[in-house]
Amino acid sequence: MMDQRLSTIALIGNPNTGKTSLFNALTGQKQRVGNYPGVTVEKKSGLWKLSKTESLTVIDLPGTYSLSAQTIDERITVDVLSGNIPDLSPSLMIIVIDAENLQRNLFLASQASELGVPIVIALNCWDIAERKGIQIDSKLLEKRLGVPVVPTVANQAKGIDKLALAVKTALSNKAIMVRPKWPEPVQEAVDTLKADLSAIDQTSQSLSNGEIQRLIFDASSAVADRLKGEKTQILEAIEKAKETVHKGGFHPNAVESIIRFRFLKPILADIIARQATLKKSIHSESIDQLLLHRFWGLVIFVGMMYFVFQSVYSWSGPFMQLIEGGIAHVQSLASSALESTPMLQSLIVDGVLSGVGAFVIFLPQILVLFLFISLLEETGYMARAAFLMDKLFQWCGLNGKSFVPLLSSYACAIPGILATRTINDKKIRIITIMIAPLMSCSARLPIYILMIGIFVEPAYGPAISGITLFFMHFIGVLVAAPAAYLMNQCIQRKSISIPFVMELPRYRIPNLKNIYGRIYESGYAFISSAGTLIFAFTIIIWALFYFPRPANIESEIRNQYAVELIDESSLQAKIDSAYLENSFGGKLGKGLQPIFNSSGYDWKITVAVIASFPAREVIIATLGILYSLGGEMDENSRDLRASLKNATWEEGKRKGMPVFDIAVAFSIMIFFALCMQCGATVAIIAQELNWLWAIGSFISLSLIAWVASIITYQSINFFL
Amino acid sequence: MQSMLLRLILKPIMQLNQIKDKGHYKVLKMDESQRCISRLMDMGLLPGELIRIRHEAPLGDPISIEFKDCHVSIRLKDAAFLEVDIINESTQ
Repeated sequence: MMDQRLSTIALIGNPNTGKTSLFNALTGQKQRVGNYPGVTVEKKSGLWKLSKTESLTVIDLPGTYSLSAQTIDERITVDVLSGNIPDLSPSLMIIVIDAENLQRNLFLASQASELGVPIVIALNCWDIAERKGIQIDSKLLEKRLGVPVVPTVANQAKGIDKLALAVKTALSNKAIMVRPKWPEPVQEAVDTLKADLSAIDQTSQSLSNGEIQRLIFDASSAVADRLKGEKTQILEAIEKAKETVHKGGFHPNAVESIIRFRFLKPILADIIARQATLKKSIHSESIDQLLLHRFWGLVIFVGMMYFVFQSVYSWSGPFMQLIEGGIAHVQSLASSALESTPMLQSLIVDGVLSGVGAFVIFLPQILVLFLFISLLEETGYMARAAFLMDKLFQWCGLNGKSFVPLLSSYACAIPGILATRTINDKKIRIITIMIAPLMSCSARLPIYILMIGIFVEPAYGPAISGITLFFMHFIGVLVAAPAAYLMNQCIQRKSISIPFVMELPRYRIPNLKNIYGRIYESGYAFISSAGTLIFAFTIIIWALFYFPRPANIESEIRNQYAVELIDESSLQAKIDSAYLENSFGGKLGKGLQPIFNSSGYDWKITVAVIASFPAREVIIATLGILYSLGGEMDENSRDLRASLKNATWEEGKRKGMPVFDIAVAFSIMIFFALCMQCGATVAIIAQELNWLWAIGSFISLSLIAWVASIITYQSINFFL
Repeated sequence: MQSMLLRLILKPIMQLNQIKDKGHYKVLKMDESQRCISRLMDMGLLPGELIRIRHEAPLGDPISIEFKDCHVSIRLKDAAFLEVDIINESTQ
């Protein structure tokens, strides 16, 4: 990329062909991941060293079955291949083809060949095909197609040298694949459309026949979006061309498939020889008999998902504790080193180091989840999981692929939202991301336990407590389902929905390099993008609750307690509490309290809600400081429970009455169950979608939580 | 009209979503105006092709079908756009 003289080549292919393995084999660790301009489609590129002196830039395009532009991935592929993305005009494409599924894979190759870019075909999974007794005459295929066909075993990096040689030759002789001869009506439509378009706009003369074909064959073409000139005129011209095809006896949406597959059939004649001992995917079929069984398949699925969930929910615990312990250790070191400068001490300890801790803490969960996700995808089980669960999601416009991300969000929304990368439908991905924060994550558990422990269990016993805890985990789904339905209805108008036709690929032994790649990528993306934001959030919230810190507060409190016998630590706790109350954040909380009046919150609860924005679990520590108990409280602390029980309103018409009762407890729990409390989630949504969605979800979830907390408080007070 | 009636009696044309039995079928007609059908056609499923119904999800929808070495999950509402004819009784 640095060297302008480097040629760019593109890697395309169907999903599940081992394209990623080939990309990894070509580029090694020299990869960069970014986004295509304006869309959140992952752009992967890397450097392929052909020899000591020659290198190429390789772009790994998303896996697609077709160029028909039904998905955003397909649109990007068309745009890149036709040279319409700045600096990304490939001078050659390698088409990765699964040796076991030649015909379907060559359909994409045939579409791509029309765009005029030289082609080299990598016949991948050669070993599996051979093992299954499928023999392919690659030399004959090469002769018939007119482009180099190189057998490869990408996950073992076999055939790469030959591929390099073929690429070098093809770059100089610009081999073009044979193309089908189109029936008269199609040819006529292409010619007239070309003429009509150049009459509208001169620049469309540069369109290749392949691009014109895309305009005619695709229901909504990627090419149409970038044509200049009067939109209605362009659409009229395209309609006219489609009509020509129609009149000729072909359906414009179907003619391409029919002609290309008909064209490929004789090319593939005598190319494939299946041996007598044909074990045609018997292996995958018998696994499916079990894994897609209506009863046992479900049992195994539940077991497997339980395993994945546990791994994220509990097994990453020790690693998280290790990080927490490490950060705490460094914090105490820094704390004692900076004793003489209290502000710097607080900035480093409570700002910078907590900020680092605030995002590093998510890494174990992310890495563990992506280990399992990449395993599920690499083996081919992920598609089966989506198949089993799809019906549950259909009615609200989602599909089975939303299941794993939403389940993961019950542990933590951060890895859950990252996991939506497995959803290829953009609209469904957006909706899944937007409802993921409603799944009650593990960080909300402490506040449930605290509230239930004080107000539900003593009064109503353990059974009701259990039901309450379950209900808190379930209420998010009750809100999420209609929310998803509504969003689906709203977004549908603007963007086309993609039919849920999903390949159930053959089962495969996962490739370690690919798994490592996926895990590394997700971790790296998180640290470099969302991590910085989470860090910034933490610093801002720290500053909000640290400043202005007038020095007279400390002396006033010391004077006040000068006569009483009070030990230094409780005195310090009172001072901390006073500082917090008088900080900008404390004042903000007091100022915002009226908003939460109908929810039954006093200013202390309001402050705690704001202060816990970087991480939900901070609410306990904040309440601890506010009630002069110090910040080292947890949800089981007796002191904290007693203080909350005895807290009374300091002023207003409820003065002297207890702040916390069962209504407030539920109001707080409901608020926390539904609100977008955590800054990290906002950051990750901004990373995965954009800031508009992130802020939108923050505002809408806060509103939902606020309204729900008012309804809860008012109705409990009304009925009890 | 008469021939159509005759055809209906002799050879019942079924929509794929109405079929309860697994087994082999031949695709007779596909509604090309549907996006899901374009997708299936891109994957190589064309009128005249043989398919096999392999699985039904636990909740009855979607189903999985196989054609040309390709195993694909489709929803019942999309399957309605495929007209098929039975080839032989379930060959499980």
